[in-house]
Amino acid sequence: MPPIVQVNDLRKRYGDIEAVRGISFFVEPGEVFGLLGPNGAGKTTTVEILEGLRRADGGSATVAGVDVFRDPSGVKRRIGVQLQASAFPDHLTARETVRFFAACYDLVVDELALLRSVDLGERANQPQDKLSGGQRQRLSIATALVNQPQVLFLDEPTTGLDPQARRNLWDLIRDIQGRGTTVFLTTHYLDEAEILCDRVAIMEQGNIVALNPPRKLIDDLLARGFTKPVLQQKANLEDVFLDLTGHELREP
Amino acid sequence: MRQTVRLFGLLLRGYVRDRTALFFSLVVPLMLMVIFGYLNLGDFGRVSVAIDDQAKNQSSKQLVDILKGINTLVVTEQTTDDALNHLKRTELDMLVVIPSDFVIAPARPGQAVPQLIVYGDDARPQQVAVGRQIIAQVIDRLSFAVTQTAPVIAVKDETVQGVRLRYVDFLVPGILGVNIMQLAIFSVAFALVADKQRGVLRRIMATPVRVTNLLAAHVMTRLVIAAGQVAVLLLVALVLFNVTIVGGLIPLVVVALIGTILFLTIGFALAGWATSENQVPAIAQLITLPQFFFSGVFFSKNAAPELIRPVTNILPLTLLNDALREISVQGATIWDVRTQILGLLIWTLAGFILAVRLFRFEKF
Repeated sequence: MPPIVQVNDLRKRYGDIEAVRGISFFVEPGEVFGLLGPNGAGKTTTVEILEGLRRADGGSATVAGVDVFRDPSGVKRRIGVQLQASAFPDHLTARETVRFFAACYDLVVDELALLRSVDLGERANQPQDKLSGGQRQRLSIATALVNQPQVLFLDEPTTGLDPQARRNLWDLIRDIQGRGTTVFLTTHYLDEAEILCDRVAIMEQGNIVALNPPRKLIDDLLARGFTKPVLQQKANLEDVFLDLTGHELREP
Repeated sequence: MRQTVRLFGLLLRGYVRDRTALFFSLVVPLMLMVIFGYLNLGDFGRVSVAIDDQAKNQSSKQLVDILKGINTLVVTEQTTDDALNHLKRTELDMLVVIPSDFVIAPARPGQAVPQLIVYGDDARPQQVAVGRQIIAQVIDRLSFAVTQTAPVIAVKDETVQGVRLRYVDFLVPGILGVNIMQLAIFSVAFALVADKQRGVLRRIMATPVRVTNLLAAHVMTRLVIAAGQVAVLLLVALVLFNVTIVGGLIPLVVVALIGTILFLTIGFALAGWATSENQVPAIAQLITLPQFFFSGVFFSKNAAPELIRPVTNILPLTLLNDALREISVQGATIWDVRTQILGLLIWTLAGFILAVRLFRFEKF
């Protein structure tokens, strides 16, 4: 199968700053692909170019077989998007929010079924601004799924969530992958990348400095003779937290 | 079209649920109208008019008698010199000089039409404006009667009843106009800048939605709210204050809609320009406040200082208020207010160009 996302020598600059410096990579259909990197590495710029939201200065990119530069709206029709720092229209319920985005794709969907698939069936008639952070992220994913996308882009999906909500979202993302959707996510949580991603690309100052399955990256590092200065703890504070407060998702 | 209607339905639902927005679009205008209407804050009492009848013929006597029969006017006969002195001491609102060649008859070709000279007290512009309107109307009716060879005396009755100017009659079209302006500018600018700042627009632009459909849905939402606002205000005006819309509701609503579209373009331009919600109130006030005071909302537009009147007279709200008032108070038709409508359309075009320039969805 041909790659579902193909990026060649992609470039973008803002004034004097070269945000993306000629990166190339591809994403296999059905995998969870992670783009990692510190803040300001160029992750969001890269993702937004692939989503058809930003114009690149050079290179080429195809998503789901469509040239992103030539047909951004064709790309938008085939992908689902969850943006960083975005919000929904005011004063609508969860269900109406899904309907709003379905209307944006000019589609009619079974809103309730979609909400149930992200475990929000009970909240369908609740105002979207009254949802908790985790619920809102799941609603956000529901709105990204209205068009049954071939690729789902998630930009830092678990930022700001408590440990239970994060794990719950990871389950959801695996579930979506299980239904055959390719997932492209950015994160700066390395545990998240290690647990979720089939392959990760590490970005630094506009370049991709490594691209491999997480296990392979770790093995390569160890093969170079790396040792942790302190003996690895058998558990960390997060494990303590989860042990004491349980894995179940808290819903207000 | 289907997409527009669906988006419109959801946006409208959201808007109606927004208590703050509803308060500002319905309750505040009603409060304004009731407060000003009941307290008669802008009442000017009666207009004192001096008449210097230099013709002293049958026609001039007829005119003077009709003017004396009108309740709003207090008519005295004085010489021009005396009256001008009284005017300077603001003991009089206006002076009408009837020239010696005054006659109410069909104009003969080549002959000059007799001219009334009207002096007004600059310190009492509202009274002068009302007085001028009444006199102009009386002359119109008289001329009409002559050219139609209808009995003048019958027209006279109609005139006396027709001119019935209470402050609230003057006020209602002004309240309509100012609220159309406020609603259109503020509801668009606040909502869209908030959407822009919170990333709602970015999220929507990540879908293949057609921008024109989305904009149309926003415009339709505001038109429906504006129509509701106009309906509520008119209902209260009709029921509570017994206001008569002489020119009929349809022309009034047509002009109100044109005004709404005009101010919507300004709202979109402002929403496009502003990058944060804090900028909106300042700029919106800068645009609306001068019009609030100088465009004849609560008082005559001639209350504006004479120096800036050439500007204030062509402000969008002035044109809108003039048109609404002429329809509501004087029974003008759409054709009668075509000049104002043309002006409104020119402003709309300017606003549209500005909005298109400033409003770029892609950059969110």
